[in-house]
Amino acid sequence: MADRNTFRLMLLILGVIFAFLYIPISVLVGLSFNEGGLPTAWTGFSVKWYGALLQNSDILQAAGNTLFVAIFSTILSTILGSLLAVGVELRRRNGKWLETIIFAPMIIPDIVLAIALLSFFSLLGARMGLHTIVVSHVVFNLAFVCAVVRARLRNFDWSIVEASTDLGASTFTTLIRVILPVLMPAILAGALLAFTLSVDEFIIAFFTAGAGRSSITLPMQIYAMIRFGVTPEINALATVVMGVSVIALALSQRLNRGGLPGQ
Amino acid sequence: MTNDRRPLILMSPALLWLFGLMVVPCLLILALAFFRRGLYGGIEYTWTLENIALVFDPLYFKIFMKSAGIAGLAAGIASVLGYAAAYAIASMPRRHQPMLLFFAVLPFWSNYLVRTYAWIVLLNREGLIVNLARWFGFEGEMPKLLYTESAVVIGLVYNYLPFVILSCYAPLSRLNPEIAEASRDLGASGWKTFRRITLPMTVPGIATGFVFVFVLSIGNFVTPALLGGGQFQMIGNLVYAQFLTANDWPFGAALSMVLILVMLGLLMLQAVVTERASGGKKQIDG
Amino acid sequence: MTRPLLSLQNVKKCFGTIAAVDGVTLDIHENEFFALLGASGSGKTTLLRMLAGFEDLTAGDILLEGTSIANIPPNRRPVNLMFQTYALFPHMTVAQNIAYGLEMDKLPKAQIKTHVDEILQVIQLAHLAKRKPDQLSGGQRQRVALARALVKRPKVLLLDEPLGALDKKLRGEMQLELKRLQHEFGITFIVVTHDQEEALVMADRVAIMQDGALLQVGTPHEIYEFPETRFAADFIGVMNFLPVKVSRGAAHTSNGTRIATDKPLDLPDGSAAVAAIRPERLHVGIQSDNMLTGEITAIAYHGLDLLLHIMTPLADTPIISRMTADVADHHNPAVGQQITVGWSARDTHIFPA
Repeated sequence: MADRNTFRLMLLILGVIFAFLYIPISVLVGLSFNEGGLPTAWTGFSVKWYGALLQNSDILQAAGNTLFVAIFSTILSTILGSLLAVGVELRRRNGKWLETIIFAPMIIPDIVLAIALLSFFSLLGARMGLHTIVVSHVVFNLAFVCAVVRARLRNFDWSIVEASTDLGASTFTTLIRVILPVLMPAILAGALLAFTLSVDEFIIAFFTAGAGRSSITLPMQIYAMIRFGVTPEINALATVVMGVSVIALALSQRLNRGGLPGQ
Repeated sequence: MTNDRRPLILMSPALLWLFGLMVVPCLLILALAFFRRGLYGGIEYTWTLENIALVFDPLYFKIFMKSAGIAGLAAGIASVLGYAAAYAIASMPRRHQPMLLFFAVLPFWSNYLVRTYAWIVLLNREGLIVNLARWFGFEGEMPKLLYTESAVVIGLVYNYLPFVILSCYAPLSRLNPEIAEASRDLGASGWKTFRRITLPMTVPGIATGFVFVFVLSIGNFVTPALLGGGQFQMIGNLVYAQFLTANDWPFGAALSMVLILVMLGLLMLQAVVTERASGGKKQIDG
Repeated sequence: MTRPLLSLQNVKKCFGTIAAVDGVTLDIHENEFFALLGASGSGKTTLLRMLAGFEDLTAGDILLEGTSIANIPPNRRPVNLMFQTYALFPHMTVAQNIAYGLEMDKLPKAQIKTHVDEILQVIQLAHLAKRKPDQLSGGQRQRVALARALVKRPKVLLLDEPLGALDKKLRGEMQLELKRLQHEFGITFIVVTHDQEEALVMADRVAIMQDGALLQVGTPHEIYEFPETRFAADFIGVMNFLPVKVSRGAAHTSNGTRIATDKPLDLPDGSAAVAAIRPERLHVGIQSDNMLTGEITAIAYHGLDLLLHIMTPLADTPIISRMTADVADHHNPAVGQQITVGWSARDTHIFPA
């Protein structure tokens, strides 16, 4: 019947869209293993461009900076975001303002937040560097962690909190011994998500890094490499960065089935 | 009631953080937009409406309209493709859907710059598409692909498509299949059912996706810079320039204020669309 | 004999290797109120969806007025379905919902309006014509769904658990309302339900479905009083079962008492069987064809009548006897009492165990 043709059409649409989504990045990954490094011809399989990455001190320094920023902003935002989520869900009757403030970091255009923070830091006369990037990344990261943890809290049985109190535990003990273990998968998923976002974030880092090479992160390095002379190394670097994101995201998804914001 | 204070204690560190590092800086931008630019790039603390007026200066207003045009085109294309993809995913067997959705969204979480760069590799003068065309025997002058408006639009669509898929899939998957069946049962063809039932009921997903892509595109400076090759400016590039090269922060602030206003306006519009499609809710059970 | 309106001929539907509907043959007549009764998973909803055109047939054929409709898509069948979830279009008003099917028939606007207004009067929802479905109560939604299907005046109206979402009191009212509408419109109704009371009250004929096949088809009276299988006997109403053994061409209880029945007993000697008796056929204090003594273990009060649970040595579970209020006043039964009940050979059914 007609249904079969519809189904075929749907498969065709999926095929085209997935091709559109995956061919560009696949080409990139493929090229990173191309001996010659140029898209014009395949000259043989090689990992030499990955080797070149390890020789490039600029890239290594940028990678170190990125790791620093990602780790610290992840730790901070995971703590703040999780506490926020528990507080918000515990309180329940939350005004529109509160919800807007918690939601805003996820939808505000990066460039707006970036220039706002830049103006703010320079007005304060703060010296900018990796620390200002960390502090800025926490702003949007904590919102994402909060969203993931809140999703888990929606089907959380609050009576176990009352049971814990009833059995004599203090609020703090209840938080550590009861709420935290139950939320752990969601918190870890949120942390991994924050880590990915931080590793990949470019615009805010770009504006809040201050001058000088010392606080350049990987995305900033990639941006510079793309704008001022493309070298074959960039394919390898792009593949590595993409791999890190994909692994972190897959882990996050595994820990917290279907709990990504928007899903 | 000591109990009531616990949530506030838990929330306060994060709320203080958001207040100090998001609300205050954004208010600062708002204030900045009304200050005068200093002679050598600094800020003179006297009130003025010049910056706001400058946004509507024909020169800048043209850039604004151009950005809106490109963002609108990108959002439109992404909405059509995203809806089609979401519809296709939603019509696959239930057990495969989470997997398909995961892979549709996966690229979205990889680095934005890397995804944009991939299109440079494809569209380059010596890039893959040109090479493929030659390989298939295409002779003569290839049209310029990279550093064009089309390249910027493609890049924006590519980067934001997964989000549209996600936002369209949500209402599609929540649709009770019996509703479409009821339409068929009452005599509507498959196409009529889609146009009169499925599409109107899932339009909020498209609206969300469209607004998202539009807002992120109009304020984007990376894609125009990389795929447009600085051939033309969009609002994002203009803001970027005011802050990092021209040193006219008040004007940059005014420009981003307009961006925020556009975003807020669109979000409100989207809320209205959602309200309409859900049928106005609650008059009887109060 | 007149030609049946709808004729199902060995209809079969397989999902993979599982046969959801396994060879159903059935005739349904013009103007009939027909009920498909079965537990969930019995295949009744699949059969209904095949009639509506949402499932294709693995084998067999469906004839409407003598012509096959098996390959006609749902939107071209003169058959309409009222969905279990009602499936009202949430973005359209009540009037728009009802008009939808008429618009698909390309009726002139004025005529559509007349039809919609008419049916809104019939279902008494004219004052809510401009409301959206989520501003209606459950009962109102149910009536809109009914009107939407009915307004097209289909040859056959299919109803999938039409009263399932309503509360008990409303269900009782709607059972009669559905019967009235069916009569008024003169349309053949086929109702799918798992509620035996609903089927017996509303339908002219009932088909009991089990494992994709029809177990028994008949009027409510036939189905209730003359069950053909132990399953049908158990499924409809309350039934007492006494284990018996067949010997010398008659059924005997475990203590050797012969059970009198007027039904032919074609089971071989030595086979195990059950004797089945309805609770309301057990009488106290009257000499009958069959007699049974036991101890009252519980009394359930139901207002109009009492249900006595009587433990006998003949079965592991108590026998249930229904006693009307006036009889109970006379006998004053109490828990712990010994009681003797009797029943007639006419009311005894024997089924293989």
